[in-house]
Amino acid sequence: MTKRSYSSMEQQSMDRNAVGLATWRSALIFIVTGVGLYFYFESEKKKVKERKAAELANVKTGRPKVGGPFTLTDQDGKEFTEQDLLGKWSLIYFGFTNCPDICPDELDKMGAVVDLIEKKHGADVVIPVFVSVDPARDSVSQVKKYLSEFHPKMIGLTGPYDAVKKMCKVYRVYFSTPAEVKPGEDYLVDHSIYFYLMDPKGEFVDAFGKANTAKEVKAKFDKAVEAWKAEE
Amino acid sequence: MDPPNRTQRQRCWEARDAYYKCLDSLKVNTPGEEGGKCAEEVAAFSKACAASWVEHFNRKRVFDIKQAAALRGG
Repeated sequence: MTKRSYSSMEQQSMDRNAVGLATWRSALIFIVTGVGLYFYFESEKKKVKERKAAELANVKTGRPKVGGPFTLTDQDGKEFTEQDLLGKWSLIYFGFTNCPDICPDELDKMGAVVDLIEKKHGADVVIPVFVSVDPARDSVSQVKKYLSEFHPKMIGLTGPYDAVKKMCKVYRVYFSTPAEVKPGEDYLVDHSIYFYLMDPKGEFVDAFGKANTAKEVKAKFDKAVEAWKAEE
Repeated sequence: MDPPNRTQRQRCWEARDAYYKCLDSLKVNTPGEEGGKCAEEVAAFSKACAASWVEHFNRKRVFDIKQAAALRGG
């Protein structure tokens, strides 16, 4: 019995073939993996792009946490809570009746927005709300008197200092009224000058300021309604 | 004290505007620096508006003028 021995040349060529086969195999694996990874990444990229586009198009994604439970009194002395806002859209403005210029302008604008909205979407689709950040001076009767000169549908809310402070906190509204105010004191309240659009679920949609015209606000409202309907 | 209603607000704004027109004609930006020249307008302004409003509007005037100048690149 003789051991088979290969000549070195044969050995070498055998080795080379073995290596060659290995090389081909690994090359194939490499290519297949590469192609697979390429398709995987492309599909992931596409998904991210789609998600981003959806986020931008969708008004609801990534909203700040504005809004929450509160208990105040309306201009007719009735209790009014966040529950009373549900089922309708609402525009909420925080101000005070002794306000020199901005509040009356913004409330007039809000009234104009409500009229524009009602023309297109019908009555009682949106509730305009005025919340006083000056509880010391803005009694229920004060608020009622003040609102008599603005949109008839506007609801005015006031209450004890702590209740107002609580609502301002959940609505992220800054106001500077001190807790103790002497009667008859003359002062202005520093407050954030925005009015907020909330959806029928009581969730924040958008905030508008001095720079937004009534028409612009109404256009944004239309978009919000469309987005809302699309999700139903 | 009752807050001013729409008519009273309007009257206050008009008194304010009359005073500021006087200041503009004297090229005075800051209310109070006109050296008593718009005395009549000042009196009408103080009468038509609450003190806090007068202070607010006067401060606003100075701020608005500065801001306008800044926006113009002045």
